[in-house]
Amino acid sequence: MSHFKKLNWTRTTIYIILFSLSLAVLIPILNLLAMSFSDPLKVHELKGLGIFPKGFSLINYEVLFSNPLIIRSILNSIFLTIVGTSLNLFLTAMTAYVLAKTDFVGKRFVIIFLIVIMVFEPGLIPEYLLIKDLGLLDTYFSLILYKAINVFYLFILMRFFEDVPDSILEAARIDGAGHFRIFTKIMLPLSKSGLATLGLFYGVYHWNEYFRATIYLTDPNKWPLQVVLRQFVIERDNTSLLGAQNVLSYDQIAALDFGSLQAGTIIISIVPLLIFYPLILKYYAKGALEGGVKD
Amino acid sequence: MTGKGVFYRIKKDWVLYLMLLPAILYFSVFNVIPLIGMKLAFQDYRIIGDNIWVGMKHFNVLFSSPAFMDVLKNTVIISTMKMVFFFPIPIILSLMINEVRNGPYRKYVQSVIYLPHFLSWVVIAGVWISLLSPVDGGVNVIRNFFQLPSLDFMTSKDHIRWVLVFSEMWRSSGWDSIIYLAAIMKISPALYEAARIDGASTLQQMRYITLPELASTVITVFILNLGFFMNAGFDQVFNLINDSVISVVDIIDTYVYRIGILNGQYAYATAASLFKGIIGVVLILSTHFISKRFTGKGVW
Repeated sequence: MSHFKKLNWTRTTIYIILFSLSLAVLIPILNLLAMSFSDPLKVHELKGLGIFPKGFSLINYEVLFSNPLIIRSILNSIFLTIVGTSLNLFLTAMTAYVLAKTDFVGKRFVIIFLIVIMVFEPGLIPEYLLIKDLGLLDTYFSLILYKAINVFYLFILMRFFEDVPDSILEAARIDGAGHFRIFTKIMLPLSKSGLATLGLFYGVYHWNEYFRATIYLTDPNKWPLQVVLRQFVIERDNTSLLGAQNVLSYDQIAALDFGSLQAGTIIISIVPLLIFYPLILKYYAKGALEGGVKD
Repeated sequence: MTGKGVFYRIKKDWVLYLMLLPAILYFSVFNVIPLIGMKLAFQDYRIIGDNIWVGMKHFNVLFSSPAFMDVLKNTVIISTMKMVFFFPIPIILSLMINEVRNGPYRKYVQSVIYLPHFLSWVVIAGVWISLLSPVDGGVNVIRNFFQLPSLDFMTSKDHIRWVLVFSEMWRSSGWDSIIYLAAIMKISPALYEAARIDGASTLQQMRYITLPELASTVITVFILNLGFFMNAGFDQVFNLINDSVISVVDIIDTYVYRIGILNGQYAYATAASLFKGIIGVVLILSTHFISKRFTGKGVW
């Protein structure tokens, strides 16, 4: 046996392929980042694979952050994400506690009901008509109440709850604590990682939600960021973005690069996800696995 | 508790029922009512007064409509392309990631390739429209480097379905590899140890140990996907579709949206989505039982 480790060609090739794949993910995003910080007059020099800005300018972000529609949509998204996720978490956790940790007449029936709910997805149109009939069109209730409890996530949280030892709950019960008290004072504090996981599931969902907002909200002032982004990047509607400008002179508007503004909007909508990404990596993946893979 | 009556137990546990009430109420309103609302497929929608029962009328129109047949065909083609070309990628990726022994490098690769899963399809469509731009888009820069002419992928009927397949790969390959990676982690290290002593190369170990051990997970994931075959990726198509290519990428869900929400043909659109739903349920139920039969694990 040689004392020198032979270079493992298979492994080296794999390292190189994986590195290329990571670039394939990163470069298109970094290119948009570079585009958004480029000088609008020089941005045409930036090719599709470039990751460094040509010149440097904050003009795109100045334009975007002085646009009332964008500002409002960011606030709307933050509001919807926080309120929506809180409601999701509360309802899901309360239901998960009852189903995972207690025994009552009719439990089996409830579980079967939930599985049926999970399998039979109602179609888009009856759902739309329901929201319409309830008078929820153009209100945030239409978005917050949609999937207020995600059955799949509920089952995942039940698994987290099952890990909490029954003896602790039993002790509290003997001390005279009621179910709701045990739920808020013992179950929730003991399941922080489960709640964090679900919070991220729901949070990412709310931040990225655009479709229901597109069909339920007709008032642009109520739109979340994703809808404005879609209007701007996919529908290529630049008037709604530039029309409302009053901070720039005509010369400045003429100098703006539409593509760079689009890039800036995309970057703005990614940033919150990047901020939470370390947490997402820590909890989300683990939670998805525990829920998705059955032992 | 035994010996006490059912009513006693229900009365004693009233708090539990109260805690369960919001969920039951919620599902009854937001799931059960729209589910019953699917009966609209057999009715004509009336703004004022009750809907009128029309039997199979909408289905007859649906099945004799060339437009719907195109949409059905697109759905099947796009789903099949993803099954064939996208499905194996996460498996291969997990095999490769498993070979990375350097901790920080492994962490870097995983962190990066999982990222697109968390971006909305609006964002991904934005990224891809820019990446595929005929003017200086990344892909065309590479094509030009190899002396190939620039192509406008987004408006090309020959290419747009491949755009769907590749953007799906970009978004989901990394994330979907997690489930396989978890399965690989459970394989006993002793198997590899023995193989190494016998002189098996890295590739041989992959081929003769990892892949066979992975087979049951692969089958499970495959039949699970089969259950969602008729979906074909609504959010993706919805954001990447445009007038030039609508004839080749319009799928059932985007068709339902256009006919129903945009054109207001509620009943007809509901018939289309009920048809899709029934196929979906049949697929999910049959995959559940097939899965149970062959792997001992059901879909739920």
